[in-house]
Amino acid sequence: MRRIPILLFALVLVLTAFARSANKKEATAVSPVVHATDADTMRAQGEQRFRANCGRCHAAPQKFPPRAMATVVRHMRVRATITEEDMRLVLFYMTQ
Amino acid sequence: MGLQLSYLYAHAGLLRRWRRALPQLAALSLLTFFVRAHGYAQTADPEKPIPILSGTAGFLTSVTAGQTLLDTQINPVLLLPLGNRWLVESRGEFEGKFQRPPGGGPFGGPVDKHLDYLQVDYIANPYVTITAGRFLTPFGIFNERLYPEWIRALQPDPLILPIATASSDGAMLRGGFAVNAQANLNYAAYVSVTSIGVNGVESERHVGGRLGFFFPHPRLEIGASWQKVLQDDRKNAVGFHVAWQPPALPLSVHSEFVRSNQGSGYWIEGAYRLSQAHFWQKAMRHTEVVARSQQFFNGNITSDTAQSLGLPGANTREADFGVNYFVKDGFKAVSSYGRQFSSAGNFNQWTVGIVYRFLVPLGREGTP
Repeated sequence: MRRIPILLFALVLVLTAFARSANKKEATAVSPVVHATDADTMRAQGEQRFRANCGRCHAAPQKFPPRAMATVVRHMRVRATITEEDMRLVLFYMTQ
Repeated sequence: MGLQLSYLYAHAGLLRRWRRALPQLAALSLLTFFVRAHGYAQTADPEKPIPILSGTAGFLTSVTAGQTLLDTQINPVLLLPLGNRWLVESRGEFEGKFQRPPGGGPFGGPVDKHLDYLQVDYIANPYVTITAGRFLTPFGIFNERLYPEWIRALQPDPLILPIATASSDGAMLRGGFAVNAQANLNYAAYVSVTSIGVNGVESERHVGGRLGFFFPHPRLEIGASWQKVLQDDRKNAVGFHVAWQPPALPLSVHSEFVRSNQGSGYWIEGAYRLSQAHFWQKAMRHTEVVARSQQFFNGNITSDTAQSLGLPGANTREADFGVNYFVKDGFKAVSSYGRQFSSAGNFNQWTVGIVYRFLVPLGREGTP
């Protein structure tokens, strides 16, 4: 039981380090994927992310209404621990 | 000598103070982390989510060692998004298992009801989601990701599924993020104060976690899970999992290995979609063939205890083969044959059935 706070503390430290480094990167470099304005590129990226992430467990479902799909994607983000960037691109792909 | 003793005493005092301060330090770090996280650009979802009712309904008929079982299941999933960061989610399980009594007669049997999870998720930032309530224990991948009937490729459960996968009641931190362009990391760490056992109401305290790396280009995920019971003999369970979908083939491979005092074992499963077949293409692209091999080794518990947990009572090997036909999205016909070998006896298991995944929006469907 005594180790739990230590493990929790270590986890928080690691995540904080990641959050800081990511924040610095955001300030200095622009990710070509996240900030892509070309819808076709984002759609292609979204399909790629969909196949890589969602395809790990199930076949492609039909496209649901956008607001329902937004809920499904949020649910899957938590369930399948999908990254935020993947979630955005998958949602874009599934709602186009 | 006196100097040494006083040094040791002072050193022990420091250690005690450090240990006492650790929980406060951890809490402070958590607080700092979440406050910082609010400063990040937390973009809202492009589409405002609405509540939905989803889930699976299935009707399966299985013949195990000559005994016919009609298994009817409905597993509704309610998803209630709140704002940009919150999600309340729940899944119930209603399962009727009907079979003829030994002397003959009409089919009958119990209808089981379970609340698999009822949890509140708070997406704090791109790295951390906080979950509280009853949640599916993140041990391995089958329990959390492959369990729903419309997802699983073979309907019979893997032999090792009952190990360390009963729903947990407590709190969990989880998340997934890119480590670099080649790999994503996903993790879950949880504390459970009570747990509903496989066979009824059993209370226990446990902690655990899962760590996985996903490599998007080869579509390979590898990971490990751990769980420690914080009472009685404080036993550990460890597991490893692999998932692989080679980009060039419509093949999906999953595997888990687990070791615990309740038993050890593994399963490995491959599902191949026949979309590349050159004959009967219209039918073949909807067809999937599956094979699974698995083995279970007895642990340090009695045969009766193992069976009460849903585990085999003896060392067991099993091979399963299946064919699934995807009639349309979310609706598939399933069939499988398996043979189990153990010192308690060998037998066949046939399963046929249909499963359907439904989704009903509970709000206005248009864009905001």
